[in-house]
Amino acid sequence: MSDLLGHGRLSNSGDGPGDIRLWPLVFVVLAIFTLFIGRLFQLQILEGEYLASRSKTNYVRTVQLDAPRGMIVDRDGRAIAASRPAYHVDVMPNEIQQPWRTYSVLGAILGRDPTEISDKVGRPKGRRRFQAVSLSKDLTFEQRAMVAEHRYALPGIEFYGKPLREYVYGELASHLLGTIGEIDPAELAREDLADYRSGETIGKTGIEASYEVHLRGRSGGANRIVDVAGREIEELDRIEPTPGGRVVLAMDLDLQQAAEAAFLTDDPAQPRRMGAIVALDPNNGDVLAMVSSPTYDANAFAGSISREIWRALNADEWHPMRNRAVAGVYPPGSTYKAFVAAAGLAEKVITPANTAHCNGYYRLGRRTYRCWKKGGHGTVDLQRALAGSCDVYFYELGRKLGVERLARYAKLFGLGSPTGIAVRGEAGGLVPTPEWKRRVRREAWVEGETISLSIGQGANLVTPVQLAVAYATIANGGTVVEPRVVLRKETWDGELVEELPPVIRGRNVVDPAVLEVVKKGLMSVVMDPGGTGRRAQVPGINVAGKSGTTQVVSLDVVKDLAPANIPIRYRDHALFAAFAPVESPEIVVVAIVEHAGGGGGALAAPMTQKVMARYFSKKEGRVPSQVAFLVDREGLGMELGQGAVR
Amino acid sequence: MSALRVERRRVAHFDWVLTGIVVVLVTLGILNLVSAAASGVEGGANIVGRQLSVLGLAAFVIVVVVAIDYRHFDRYAYGIYGAAVGLLLLTLAIAEETRGARAWLFSGRLQPSEFSKIGMVIGLAHYFGRNPPSQIRRLRELFVPGLIVAVPVGLIVLQKDLGVAVLTLLVGLTLLPLVNVPARAWAGIGVLGLGAAAALWQFGLKAYQKERILGFIDPSRDPLSSGYQQMQSKIAVGSGGLLGTGWQEGTQTQLRFLPTQHTDFAFSVLAEEWGFVGSTLVLSVYALMLVWGLLIARNSKDTFGAMLAIGLVGTLMWPAVINVAMVLGLAPVIGVPLPLFSYGGSALLSSALSIGLLLNISMRRYVF
Repeated sequence: MSDLLGHGRLSNSGDGPGDIRLWPLVFVVLAIFTLFIGRLFQLQILEGEYLASRSKTNYVRTVQLDAPRGMIVDRDGRAIAASRPAYHVDVMPNEIQQPWRTYSVLGAILGRDPTEISDKVGRPKGRRRFQAVSLSKDLTFEQRAMVAEHRYALPGIEFYGKPLREYVYGELASHLLGTIGEIDPAELAREDLADYRSGETIGKTGIEASYEVHLRGRSGGANRIVDVAGREIEELDRIEPTPGGRVVLAMDLDLQQAAEAAFLTDDPAQPRRMGAIVALDPNNGDVLAMVSSPTYDANAFAGSISREIWRALNADEWHPMRNRAVAGVYPPGSTYKAFVAAAGLAEKVITPANTAHCNGYYRLGRRTYRCWKKGGHGTVDLQRALAGSCDVYFYELGRKLGVERLARYAKLFGLGSPTGIAVRGEAGGLVPTPEWKRRVRREAWVEGETISLSIGQGANLVTPVQLAVAYATIANGGTVVEPRVVLRKETWDGELVEELPPVIRGRNVVDPAVLEVVKKGLMSVVMDPGGTGRRAQVPGINVAGKSGTTQVVSLDVVKDLAPANIPIRYRDHALFAAFAPVESPEIVVVAIVEHAGGGGGALAAPMTQKVMARYFSKKEGRVPSQVAFLVDREGLGMELGQGAVR
Repeated sequence: MSALRVERRRVAHFDWVLTGIVVVLVTLGILNLVSAAASGVEGGANIVGRQLSVLGLAAFVIVVVVAIDYRHFDRYAYGIYGAAVGLLLLTLAIAEETRGARAWLFSGRLQPSEFSKIGMVIGLAHYFGRNPPSQIRRLRELFVPGLIVAVPVGLIVLQKDLGVAVLTLLVGLTLLPLVNVPARAWAGIGVLGLGAAAALWQFGLKAYQKERILGFIDPSRDPLSSGYQQMQSKIAVGSGGLLGTGWQEGTQTQLRFLPTQHTDFAFSVLAEEWGFVGSTLVLSVYALMLVWGLLIARNSKDTFGAMLAIGLVGTLMWPAVINVAMVLGLAPVIGVPLPLFSYGGSALLSSALSIGLLLNISMRRYVF
């Protein structure tokens, strides 16, 4: 070795290879390697901490673990709205390596044209390359298996599970349950929703909105080590999501289904009637069933609603999204006579024995007011006047009572103001008074209006749920109940969080003895051979009720037309309000059919009948209740990882 | 076959320093490969075994090359050179296109261009042995050596193997600073070089290769392909810090954020897991090896030996320089492995040839 280094200089001379200038090469080598070591110093020592943190964000992926939304169950614990695992596929444009191959495989799995996928992803530039493009939501089981199998062979494919809202019975009770959707900018700006993030799901209407805080649950998170393909190697830490709490409805699924089915007809031109049904327990206000028709499938909102469905729902002239049961206002028609009767008795204007003579019309001044029955009812007492729905009897009674007393009693029964039901968007209805007319229309009250009012026509407006509460007040002997939609809140695994007791808004609003008389009259409506509500009969049960038919337009508009030729929007509304058993009422059912083209006794009474028949047959055990739909703990414990938060 | 007989006094002068350096580098390379392979990289655990068997072959090659007196290579220089060029021509004729280039034989297992470098160095050494560079004063005297370099480089360009073409050119140019041409001639060489580079850019490079070079000059151009690789490499090197994450503990390596970490980016693995201390040490060993090679050239008894040794140092230096520069983000991503360190059969055998020849020259420095 000393031989090799012995010369002490880098230029050779003399015997050997002659004069070779080696020093430039040695200098180059040393310079380059010094530069390299300097660079190592820069990267490892000076920038080491920063680059190490970059390495950490490389391999630690923070994922949000979405909490499944709480279940909404019926009073027997049967799931109506549940959460189920759903799997979605996104594409990360920047990670796609062989676009055509990837799109071909994906197309084959998802049953889509690769060109269409290619067009959807496009070739985004700049920051948009790093934004996931949602390709397919809610894969089928087979698609899921195939995507899972191929995911690592297809870089750029994000495949993740996320709980999805599922409305077990589709259209059933969709108005009551409400809808969910992505939180919008206005909601994001609200202080009470400060802990929501953009893109999160929030209840928009119905129970989903009213009980959002309870249903939402709390999302968890996890830090996971991933490799370059996004494959998860190991979990560093994890906070489990807390599933949303359970909401137990007062609703009885069997009754709800019967009420939904009551709207179906055999008429292919109009397979489903429009209107609403509300069924209450008059003793505590429990909303046993609530239907608004036409309806929609709330599952369409559960993922992200397609623009087409949204547009179609909004453009529909019959407004399927409106919850007619609480937001629809209708003239009560003859169903109003029960309250007029109660007012007359309570104010001692009449006694049950008082009679009136009906020959088909009633004169006030120069105007004639017709009874619906052309030949008249003859001489009728209160019971027969109610049974035959004699207009003349009530014209006279209403005139004697006067508008102020009519309005006062209507309000005692809860009409004219919201019932307080825990469903958003409730309308208040309208109980007209001279004061109201002065204020709103700037006109004086005329007595003829009182005549119209006493048979439920005129400016009078009620919602189906108001009418149900008012009839419940008759049925239970004078207690105004607040409709109770939710019985209790539970944790997701069934522990009681909060019981919601019945709310009483007024007791003995009318003398119970008076209401007993009214009930007797209402029972004649259904049970008497001459009653207008015979179709509401339920075998073996004493049913009371009252029909109503309200004109939508002046008779002059449609008088020359055959019933089938009258445009749908000019046809009459049909109403029926009923309760049973008369001796000790357990259920009140109000049915309203919009533009029915027939009377309340003919069209609406059979609908209340179907709900009541279901109620009593279930109670007597004659019809088996549905098998409970259970979602167990395992059903919620899916892998709920969401796309990475990058 | 007297040529194969190694006399006792040759063994006495055997160059144990160079041998020691090579053993250290190869051992570290295998350790590093074990770590890179542990991440489950393509080929898996297999690649360590394969590299070890190639290593055995390489040791055998070194023994054979050391046994042959290097002056025989002088005698048959143009024959060896011709064979190297012939092999390149054959490759060009029969190779199937693999990864966009037609540079591999035996379905991607042998890369003749790795060996043609050495043939070219022998050709150059032979020429300069007869025409010592210190006596070359006119540019026209560089025509023949220019041709010796241009033919293989041209053929490798035709194979569309940019990295090796650039490497071969650089190896050929290693001897250039030794010539004594005047400043005007240097300017001429510069112009010629620029012209060649422009021609290469226009006709020799594929779009993705241009993209890589542009991506290096302006990393924001394409942050996700070659720029991405380089970024990941820099992250790996940087997160090594002073002492490294520890063997088989580097997250960039084990989670495979590093691209081609067993071949082109093997040094990133080292830097991440062994830190500044480890990687500086390895770089110093490389520098020592190259300087030692130049000392072998100086002590050589004849000009051919000196020229050959310098050229061989070039075959080891340029891949190392380009590779480390690329890993450290100082040069564009060119697929060049780190000699004696990276996984890869052809490169290791080619390095073994260079080492064997250097040992050969060193051993026979007192022959005359």
